[in-house]
Amino acid sequence: MVLLILRLLATVLHIALVFALAPLLLGLVTKLRAWLLGRRGAPLVQPYRNLRRLLHKTTLVPDTATDLYPIWPFVCFTAIAAAAMLVPGFCLGLLTANLSDFITLVGLLALARGATMLAGLESGFGFGGAAAAREALFSVFAEAAFLVILISFVLIAHSPTVDGVAGAFRMGHIGISVSLGFALAAILAVALTETGRIPTDNPSGHLELAMVHEAMLLEYSGRFLLLFEYAAMLRLMVWMCLIGTVFFPFGMARAGEVLSWPGGLLLWVGKLGVMAIALSLFEISTAKMRVFRVPEFLGVAMLLGVLSGVFLFVASRIGG
Amino acid sequence: MHLRLDALSVLFLCILVPQIFASALAERRGSFTFWVFVAGMVLALLAGDAFTLIFGFELMSAASWLLVLRGDAKPATLYAGIAMFSAACLIPAVFLPASSLAFVLVLLGAGAKAGLAPLHSWLPRAHPAPPAGVSALMSGGMVKVSLYILIRYGFIEFDAAAQPWWGSVLIVVGAASVLIGALRAMLEVEMKTMLACSTVEHVGLIAVGLGIALRAKAMGDFGLASLALQGALLCAVAHGLFKPMLFLGAGAVKKATGTTSLDWLGGLMRGMPRLGMLMLVGAAGMAALPLGPGFAPEFLLLHAVIMAAATGGILARIGFTALLAGLGLSAALALGAVVRLIGIGFLGRPRSLHAAAAEDAKRGTLAGMGLLAVLCLPVALLPGMVLELLEPVIQLLVPNSDPAPLSYAPLSLGVLLALAAGVAALGLRRFAVRGTREVPAWTGGFGRPPVWLPFGDPVTQPSATGFAEPIRRAIGRGLLAPKGADPAEAFLFFPLSRLNLRLTRLAEHIRRSTIRQRLAFVFGALVMFLLALGLGEGG
Repeated sequence: MVLLILRLLATVLHIALVFALAPLLLGLVTKLRAWLLGRRGAPLVQPYRNLRRLLHKTTLVPDTATDLYPIWPFVCFTAIAAAAMLVPGFCLGLLTANLSDFITLVGLLALARGATMLAGLESGFGFGGAAAAREALFSVFAEAAFLVILISFVLIAHSPTVDGVAGAFRMGHIGISVSLGFALAAILAVALTETGRIPTDNPSGHLELAMVHEAMLLEYSGRFLLLFEYAAMLRLMVWMCLIGTVFFPFGMARAGEVLSWPGGLLLWVGKLGVMAIALSLFEISTAKMRVFRVPEFLGVAMLLGVLSGVFLFVASRIGG
Repeated sequence: MHLRLDALSVLFLCILVPQIFASALAERRGSFTFWVFVAGMVLALLAGDAFTLIFGFELMSAASWLLVLRGDAKPATLYAGIAMFSAACLIPAVFLPASSLAFVLVLLGAGAKAGLAPLHSWLPRAHPAPPAGVSALMSGGMVKVSLYILIRYGFIEFDAAAQPWWGSVLIVVGAASVLIGALRAMLEVEMKTMLACSTVEHVGLIAVGLGIALRAKAMGDFGLASLALQGALLCAVAHGLFKPMLFLGAGAVKKATGTTSLDWLGGLMRGMPRLGMLMLVGAAGMAALPLGPGFAPEFLLLHAVIMAAATGGILARIGFTALLAGLGLSAALALGAVVRLIGIGFLGRPRSLHAAAAEDAKRGTLAGMGLLAVLCLPVALLPGMVLELLEPVIQLLVPNSDPAPLSYAPLSLGVLLALAAGVAALGLRRFAVRGTREVPAWTGGFGRPPVWLPFGDPVTQPSATGFAEPIRRAIGRGLLAPKGADPAEAFLFFPLSRLNLRLTRLAEHIRRSTIRQRLAFVFGALVMFLLALGLGEGG
């Protein structure tokens, strides 16, 4: 009973923190990027201000939109929000642990993506459609690469859930394995694509022709745009949590032991900070790709995923 | 004539019956051929001996050929050819003793009729030809009857001679169908052709599941076999619900606008809101989105592939890794195809006056689709319960198996989603500025269209062809034959038809030869014969 209450508390804390810190994380990445480029940058809390501003704006609906126009932001937001509740952050053993199957996660991300693409096609204007078509192209390779990596996760950890995989990797029996290295490289490429960062998309771009994620939302305003923007922030958070939990699970707290929570929280914040620094460093050191180079980039990720599986099989052949 | 009913045939009858009701509700109640077609399918499922099975199957083929012929004469010939090929393979196979040869013949015969690669290319041509009710039943039902034969012979009748490579062949064939079907579904512009391509994909998915189960059963891994079977059978159930629904919807669109080409539709959600909502349900199933009817089967199949990657030799494992990549590719392609179907066809601005003036479908069509949509609910929300109902079938196919309970819990996931949606809605209601204002679309700052184009210029809107263009460039060039043709047609059917033409010409040449040529031919043959005889005797 006590355990259950503790797990519930940990889950609530996790959800509250993830939802509260997601805008800050985006602000941090933007700030770091500006610093690295020698600019002062917007204040850290700028994403919160943006959300607040959108809250106070009138929501405009294009006259060419259908009745489903308000549905897509909600679908996109709820799918990402559910994913954020599933992926553990500072502690393992959340109440949602059993639900956090990797394939469910893939499905939720696909649901959010589908809703965003439909939002782009909703009012029937050119930029939205072009961006949705590009998103469809990227997602084909990204989803394949992500699914392939799952083979090494699930077969090494003998568990299909994020929680179980992180728990198994945390025990440290695995050590540093070549196949997990390949998997890390592949998942980084997938995460960059899914969150719309450089090199596949530029989050601070203002040219409609070159935008992918933002161009689908051009006809959205006010509270609907708020949902989409918040979902984008949460998506960055979810991917960072996922990578942190699976590849760097050291020091994660256990939901049943309250005393381990502060350490887990501190380490989690630290991990997020390190990943934000790594992301901004990577972003200033590369340029955005042409659209038709992205399939090659993600194709390499897919190949790395397959290689990670191959190395795993070879290793188990030699070792076993 | 001998009838018999066991768990497997009951399952497939249960898949078939709602579709028959739905198509009969929507249209085709008075057509005699339609009911012969239905009777053939039911007879094939109820058959207790090989003769009855073949009789029902051929009755179904012949009646469906007539129905295709009435819709469009062009693909009917190809369809008849495939049906005859399938019969030529199946008839000897069902009377042969259990052996690898018999299984290959069943696979060729049933696979050709089910639309498994490389014999799938007739399906996107023939299935869209007849009226929507028949297309629905062909895609949702007839294909399942062929799979039923494959399952019955692969798992039960030929069980004694089962080899692991049977399953491997089935997996390879299924994976090829999945990839080609998903890719072509993304590229096709005609709504019904696109749905037929997606049927090829789903048949491929079922075949992959069956193949993994067959292989695992032959290797003695009953846990994996039952997991893969669960996925395959649940996929058959789900596909039997959402695909006929989408076909009926496409038929209603055709009736309302006179076309099913996505390039001429758009904005149908305004004129046909109820049909649009039903199409959304079907589309969620087709794209295998969470909380839709298609997700649980996809979930089980992907888990089966991951589990299968831990069995067998290293080459097989690498093969399963590649298979997983292929399934991921096609899952995303299916999502893209669905977004294209809904986004281009039902959202946005109308691209033609017919699309702008579309009125909602007849009550019968809506009722038929509604029936299937209601039946989708248990598959979508309570897949665990459906799997329990499938338990006797799995016990029949893989005796002494103990399938693990499903780890995907749509209800709990639904609670999470509802929680997020509720909090978001309440928060926005409490803190955000309420109400909306309708304004002209911004469209990147372009000016208003002229008054004689009330819905804007259609060419400024993304078209279905344009939407698929990036994928055509990036993947289509690699996987499809030149000019975007189906590889099976380009590399199998066209060479065969060219060979046929050449042989016909040769035969015609011989037939038209003069008397001297004929005498020379006979003389030459005689000399050759004597030479051969002499050499044979003398040597």
